[in-house]
Amino acid sequence: MKESIGTVIETCGLTKAYKGVQALKSLDLQVHQNSICGFLGPNGAGKTTTIKLLLGLARPTGGTGRVFGKDIEKESDQIRRRVGYLAQDPRYYEYMTARETLRFTAHFFFEGPKAGIESRIAETLDLVGLADKADRPVKTFSGGERQRLGIAQAQVNYPDLLILDEPAASLDPMGRRDVLEVMTRLRKHTTIFYSTHILDDVQRVSDTVVILNKGALVAQGPIEELLARGEGNVYTVTIKGDVDGARQRLSTQSWVTGIQEISRNGSTAWNVSVTDPATAEAQLLRLLLADEQMTVTEFLRKQHGLEDIFMQVIAGAEHREGGHDVGE
Amino acid sequence: MGLANMLAKESRAWWRTRRWWIQCLLWLLLLNVTLWLNIKGDLRVDQAGLNFLMMAGLGVPIAAISMGQDSILGERHSGTAAWVLSKPMRRPAFVLAKLIALGLGLLVTGVVLPGVIAYFQLRANGLSQLLSASGWAEAMGLIYLSILFYLTLALMLATLFHGRGPVLAITLMILLAGLMPWSYDLVDKHVPWLLAVLPWDMLLAGGGGQVPLTALLALGRPLPTVTPIIGTAGWCVLFTIVAIWRFRREEF
Repeated sequence: MKESIGTVIETCGLTKAYKGVQALKSLDLQVHQNSICGFLGPNGAGKTTTIKLLLGLARPTGGTGRVFGKDIEKESDQIRRRVGYLAQDPRYYEYMTARETLRFTAHFFFEGPKAGIESRIAETLDLVGLADKADRPVKTFSGGERQRLGIAQAQVNYPDLLILDEPAASLDPMGRRDVLEVMTRLRKHTTIFYSTHILDDVQRVSDTVVILNKGALVAQGPIEELLARGEGNVYTVTIKGDVDGARQRLSTQSWVTGIQEISRNGSTAWNVSVTDPATAEAQLLRLLLADEQMTVTEFLRKQHGLEDIFMQVIAGAEHREGGHDVGE
Repeated sequence: MGLANMLAKESRAWWRTRRWWIQCLLWLLLLNVTLWLNIKGDLRVDQAGLNFLMMAGLGVPIAAISMGQDSILGERHSGTAAWVLSKPMRRPAFVLAKLIALGLGLLVTGVVLPGVIAYFQLRANGLSQLLSASGWAEAMGLIYLSILFYLTLALMLATLFHGRGPVLAITLMILLAGLMPWSYDLVDKHVPWLLAVLPWDMLLAGGGGQVPLTALLALGRPLPTVTPIIGTAGWCVLFTIVAIWRFRREEF
């Protein structure tokens, strides 16, 4: 199977079972060149298993996988020459300093003048904010510092593919911001495939999203397409005044299908589901303000965030699975 | 792929940390100081020399077993093995780097250094006529072969088991079984061919009361058999091959 043009990762029916437990079920995955692909799923969904299969740390029980057109089982050495990897819980030799760790990593990829390698190490340490801690042993590092070191060692070799398993874990908000900036900057030169639980980050930087649940692929595609899946038209309104009266006025409208109340800071906030957005935009605010004592402090069309989509997709997948079981 | 880098890292872990001088100190105390005390005591010098060879053949392999199993299982349990293997690192190279680095480290600290000092200790106390440098070197060579046997056995078992218990139990059982007459006799009775290819007769007096091959070499006497030497070397090769084969199939 030749590498599809522009495809860096391609799997076909990739499957992994551990002692009868299906950790990964027939995964068909595609990640394109110079994209940032967010890899999502609940705990135990199979994300880390997928990554380990791609890197040759585990063997598939079925299906195939290719990275840069190379087979993940037979040509793993060649794949790992072009990949930078950050594990979910990165572990290093505790007695080594950060600089020594990067030097050890770099020597897997580079030969040649020592000055060039040392220069790259210094540059990478600077990039992740560890330049002043470069000569401290790793055993003295905090969780966040280890994570930064992990990001450094993953990119010291100018990888064509960066695989990051929870890159923002253990980082404070500024550290998270820095990671996202690094990823955005690197996308020109490399493809990034990363797993995370922080959906805001995925929404901010990713081009495509892959969602796994219980080992199965439940969604894959450009993030805009995924967000457009958001169920229904919903308007968020925040009001002060005769709440019951306003609810009554809205409930009698045929184009209003539901009113979900969310209390916020002493005001009343509603998610109003409608069948006809055009009518809602024309009528909803007028109906609320029909009571002169009513104050509307917020009125906007709800943008479905990735978290909403994620929950819907997972719930939908579990519903289908449950229905299938019942059918049996 | 990755062998040179991994070997350099393993060597640094020996020679640029305090590990090497702790090992040197340990064997000097356990072997050479004990030899000195034996010579100063009631023991005949030749008997003291024989005891030195037996202690070296028993003590240093224990260190080899401990280090060998930890070099694989320690890295597996800590997660560093998975990290290293995510780089362009061939799995056989990972195992070989461990074997070579540990083998060289134990050779220098557990064989060469105490062996050279013991040679001069023995010559200075009445064995100058009996003891030749080449004979003594050959005897220490057999000690080293025995160390390699237990080192490769520990490495192999560490790739077969995920816990330290079985690895330590099996290796120490084999090491100590040769020391005890009842176990020696048991093997002799039921699997006599095995005795011929194990390192026991190289190092220990055994249940039969024979003079160990190391002592014969040290005193320049002819060897009655070389089968234990060839057998032990063969086991080392086999253990290494199995370790590499198994490690290639390991999942992290």
